[in-house]
Amino acid sequence: MLTLLEQLDKGTLWKIPGGIHPPEMKSLSNASSIARLPLFDEYLLPLPQVGEQASLAVSVGEQVLKGQSLTRGAGHSYLPVHAPTSGTVIAIEPRPSNHASALPVLTLVLKSDGKDDWCTLEGANSDGANTKSVSSEGVNAEKVDIASLSRELILSRIQQAGIAGMGGAAFPSHIKLSPASEIELVIVNGVECEPYITADDRLMREHADDIIAGLEIIHKLLAPKRLIIAIEDNKPAAAEAMGAALNRSHLPAGTARVTQIPTKYPSGGEKQLIQIITGKEVPSGAIPAQLGIVVHNVGTLFAIRDAVVFGKPLIERVVTVTGNTVSKPGNYWVPIGTRVTDVLTYCDFQSEPSQKIIMGGPMMGYALPESKVPILKGSNCILVPASDEIGEMPAEKPCIRCGECAVACPASLLPQQLFWHAKAEEYDKAESYNLKDCIECGCCSYVCPSDIPLVEYYRVAKAAIRHDAEEKRKAERAKVRFEARIARLEEEKNAREAKAREAAEKRKASMVGNEKDAIAAALARVQAKKAAKDDGAVSGVAADGAGAGASVGLSAAVSAGVNNTAATPADAATTAADPKAGVAAAIARAKAKKAAAQAEAGESSAQDQASTDMAAERSTEARADVNPEPSAAQDPKKAAIAAAVARAKAKKAAAQGLSSASDAQTSDAPAIDQAIETGAEDSASNNSDENNANAAATVTPEGKEDPKKAAIAAAVARAKAKKAAKAAQNDGVDAPAADTQDNADAAEKNVTDIAESAGTDGAESAGTDAKASETLTPADAKKAAVAAAVAKAKAKKAAQAQAQASNLQQAEDNEHSSSQRDAQLAQSDNAAEAADVSEIADIDVSNVSNVPDAADGAVAENAAPQADQAQDAEQDSKKARIATAVAKAKAKKAAREQE
Amino acid sequence: MAFRISSSPHVRKDTATQAVMQKVILAALPGLAVQCYFFGWGSFIQVLLAIAVALGAEAAVLKLRGRTIKETLNDQSAILTALLIGVALPPLAPWYLVVIGTIFAIVIVKQLYGGLGQNLFNPAMAAYVLLLVSFPVLMTTWAAPLGLGADNAGFVDALKVIFSGVGAPAFALGIDGVSMATPLDTLKTDLSMGLTATESLQKPIFGGSSTGEGWVWVNLAYLAGGIYLLASKTIRWHISTGLLGALFVCSLVGFALSPDTHASPLFNLFSGATMLAAFFIATDPVTAATSRRGRLLFGALIGVLIYVIRTFGGYPDGVAFAVLLANLCAPLIDYYIKPRAYGHRGHS
Repeated sequence: MLTLLEQLDKGTLWKIPGGIHPPEMKSLSNASSIARLPLFDEYLLPLPQVGEQASLAVSVGEQVLKGQSLTRGAGHSYLPVHAPTSGTVIAIEPRPSNHASALPVLTLVLKSDGKDDWCTLEGANSDGANTKSVSSEGVNAEKVDIASLSRELILSRIQQAGIAGMGGAAFPSHIKLSPASEIELVIVNGVECEPYITADDRLMREHADDIIAGLEIIHKLLAPKRLIIAIEDNKPAAAEAMGAALNRSHLPAGTARVTQIPTKYPSGGEKQLIQIITGKEVPSGAIPAQLGIVVHNVGTLFAIRDAVVFGKPLIERVVTVTGNTVSKPGNYWVPIGTRVTDVLTYCDFQSEPSQKIIMGGPMMGYALPESKVPILKGSNCILVPASDEIGEMPAEKPCIRCGECAVACPASLLPQQLFWHAKAEEYDKAESYNLKDCIECGCCSYVCPSDIPLVEYYRVAKAAIRHDAEEKRKAERAKVRFEARIARLEEEKNAREAKAREAAEKRKASMVGNEKDAIAAALARVQAKKAAKDDGAVSGVAADGAGAGASVGLSAAVSAGVNNTAATPADAATTAADPKAGVAAAIARAKAKKAAAQAEAGESSAQDQASTDMAAERSTEARADVNPEPSAAQDPKKAAIAAAVARAKAKKAAAQGLSSASDAQTSDAPAIDQAIETGAEDSASNNSDENNANAAATVTPEGKEDPKKAAIAAAVARAKAKKAAKAAQNDGVDAPAADTQDNADAAEKNVTDIAESAGTDGAESAGTDAKASETLTPADAKKAAVAAAVAKAKAKKAAQAQAQASNLQQAEDNEHSSSQRDAQLAQSDNAAEAADVSEIADIDVSNVSNVPDAADGAVAENAAPQADQAQDAEQDSKKARIATAVAKAKAKKAAREQE
Repeated sequence: MAFRISSSPHVRKDTATQAVMQKVILAALPGLAVQCYFFGWGSFIQVLLAIAVALGAEAAVLKLRGRTIKETLNDQSAILTALLIGVALPPLAPWYLVVIGTIFAIVIVKQLYGGLGQNLFNPAMAAYVLLLVSFPVLMTTWAAPLGLGADNAGFVDALKVIFSGVGAPAFALGIDGVSMATPLDTLKTDLSMGLTATESLQKPIFGGSSTGEGWVWVNLAYLAGGIYLLASKTIRWHISTGLLGALFVCSLVGFALSPDTHASPLFNLFSGATMLAAFFIATDPVTAATSRRGRLLFGALIGVLIYVIRTFGGYPDGVAFAVLLANLCAPLIDYYIKPRAYGHRGHS
């Protein structure tokens, strides 16, 4: 068994499977030597790397010299673009690309000045040891002794010359020449197996020595054990020239040889050529360097030699112009960037109807839809066939599974199976038949008796698979992003909660006084209860209420707290039958508590005490009644949002209340929103019954649609009424206390706000108490009644609050206070949520329209007496302020609604 | 100006399905001629009748399917199918056999499965099996070879026999008077009657050539046609070689083990429809395996089945059954036998 090197030296060749023998058609263009083209007017230089690894080195209007680099850049795969001639940059804009799609790419348009002046080439060494030489184009440049150059310098020169593989793939050559692994074998590809193309053939015949000089440079760079120049046996002249040049070269004897290989398409494919020369196969998905092999095209070697020896950039290449529609077929030195149409015109191209312009050979070349596109570094042929040469493709006929495609396939694939699956879009199955190993050589299509464009099917399938993979990758990325976001939100939520907890702690620490209030309130209630039992008249009403559930309870509370008309509770009771009323009642109850507290503030009699107790009791009852309602809510979400809205309102109210007050509590209360809110609600709901307020808040929105609107409107109305009342008090009666004055100020301010922002609604209701009864319509009567009840209840709450205040010192109930603290914690959580949904809530609230003026009026009317009492009672400044604040907030909202 | 664009490759080999079919038909003609020489004009008439019916049936179905009639008929695949049915049927079989068989082949086996390239089974063989199962006596009564029975039926006589069952005075007895069992049939019957193969082969039907009078020439003619097809690369060698090789090996083993009950390998290779099957029937690419190794296996499978059916089965010749069974196996073969693609050395 011979070693590979021995076999290489012997010239052993391996057979590749498949392959075809299409008509060569090379004699059309290989008879004459490579000719030069005249200077054309315009050159197009695509700048594919600009914006990525490169930036422009010139601007529009700038004069450039031949060989001057037009881009600047760095990076491993950066390749500069050079001016192919001297002239002016007239545009840098998207132009059609030299591609089957002709999609526009950023292109530099160079207008030739006709002088073709070279820039100074940096190829020369400055030590003067170099001899003057003439490069292929006749430019005078300093010739460099290769041996004196370092490896890095050579590679850098190759890169700076912009050399890319000239066999078609245009892969940057300096990368191929600095492989990570050891290279044992360099194969020089002079096969040129495509029909028609003779560019490499002519180059080898005419510039064999220059190519070999390039090979010497590669030998210096890679130091391979063998260098094989592979040439198809249909190019004997080229093989002979190369052999002779090799004999003249400085390469170590026995390391390089010319090997003629049998003519067969696609022997010039990199993988196929490796298989022919070495018998090895490049593993699927790998590159030849992994086998210790690199393959370079002869044209690339020539360009490398120019670049390294003369510092001449790659600005021209040999292009075969052929086909029966040009009268001067042959090979030409074509500057990179020359427009295809210019070349064709020079070659006397006579276009036929439905003419094809093929870039490359007939097997793998692509048809150009547009001829004003530039020649690229990989463009080796322009084929313009006559219609009798390469005609219309016959229509596709059914596959008869003849298997000729499989016989022809150089990659040993089963093209017809690939075709079935590609056609059926079963891309996974196509992949299982190794679709990715298809080199798109076109042999299968060539031999197909049914004229099926097999390669086209494979291209579509490959593109689809690529697209799918891309989609999958995108989805994967999106998923990762999504998960990261979820994690971040969770983190933020935790952080928020922690903050809220902290704030709550702080607040608690600073609100010892309040807790005492709560305890006192509880004690007060107990006492009041006792008192109530003693008071027969009140307890009688209370007994009725106790039996009749929430609505009656409400009425009882109201009637007990405020000596109002008997009709109001009755109304309330009847309305309570329907859900609308229920909701309203719930709200009313909540408010009632506050009102009661306020109202009671002014009265210190036992009866009032009793009423306070009643209010508290009824509140509890109301809560019991109301609580089931949310659970039965049709839309819990709505309810939740509404609750949030309510909470947000409370927060605002609290904030306003606090800011307007100059009480010690302002300084006590932490500035943190949550804490304020908690505190506000806490105190507003009379400490021990804060849940009640919550329940009310939760219930409020539940009644949306019609009843809900009414309920909300009622609440709004109430708030206004209250404010109006207070304002009225303030106006009418001089403030009895500084605290009250504060409160009144706040209310006043509020009223002004309303007046300013929303018109005169609030002000009107404040000014004209009695108007309401006139505007009452039957439909609104109920609402009005409820609202009235609410207002009354509020008054009562005020009274209750007062009671608390008076009983401040009376008792301490540790258990009570601790439970309260728990409740506060819970609320601070809620506050956080409320903050989250506050936006939505705001919108919700603002969406609610139909503020019933009648109800407004009614509330105002009813609120007036309540307010009177409240005014008297206003001693507990805190409570009052908070209530005011709440009212303000509501009023504001109402104003918004009015708008 | 805009130029015409198309996907590469831009050149095509000048082959067409039509040309492939034409070559196959051409290659089958010597065999048909020899058949006519030994068994009279019957086969020729059958072929013409089959072609006419096939074209008519295909045209009708294409019209029903809304396909282009002219272009599809132009691919000549229907003509090839008809030719194979015509030469496979007994030369003097009544006309309705060939009509039924051809319509079945074209309409049901081919077009109902989607037309050319889509059928699972070889249409000609499916038709043959249908007729064999439906008309066993008529299908196993072959015309007597030249020199054994009465003189060969002339063109008109054959026509009369085929279309009316009654011929000229010489054929007064109808088909029975001019037909007899084929050599394969005779051998099978004799073996079952206790004669040894050698004794049976002494019978005049075998004509001293040990393969059967006339049949050897018919097979040789088809072999010649097959060689032409191979030379012109119209068919590839894999299926034919697999078939003949497997049949040869099997019969050699059988003959070596038990010469008294087995015919010689040569008898197997040159009797019945062996060569017709090897070069014209099994090589139908549509119903064969696709890969080269797969086709070798596909051919070998047919060869083995032919031997098994001839030797152990109830029918004298097993080509049709063997081909259909192998058709069934083709997808399986394709699934398991795939060529190793470039760059996949070491795995799979």
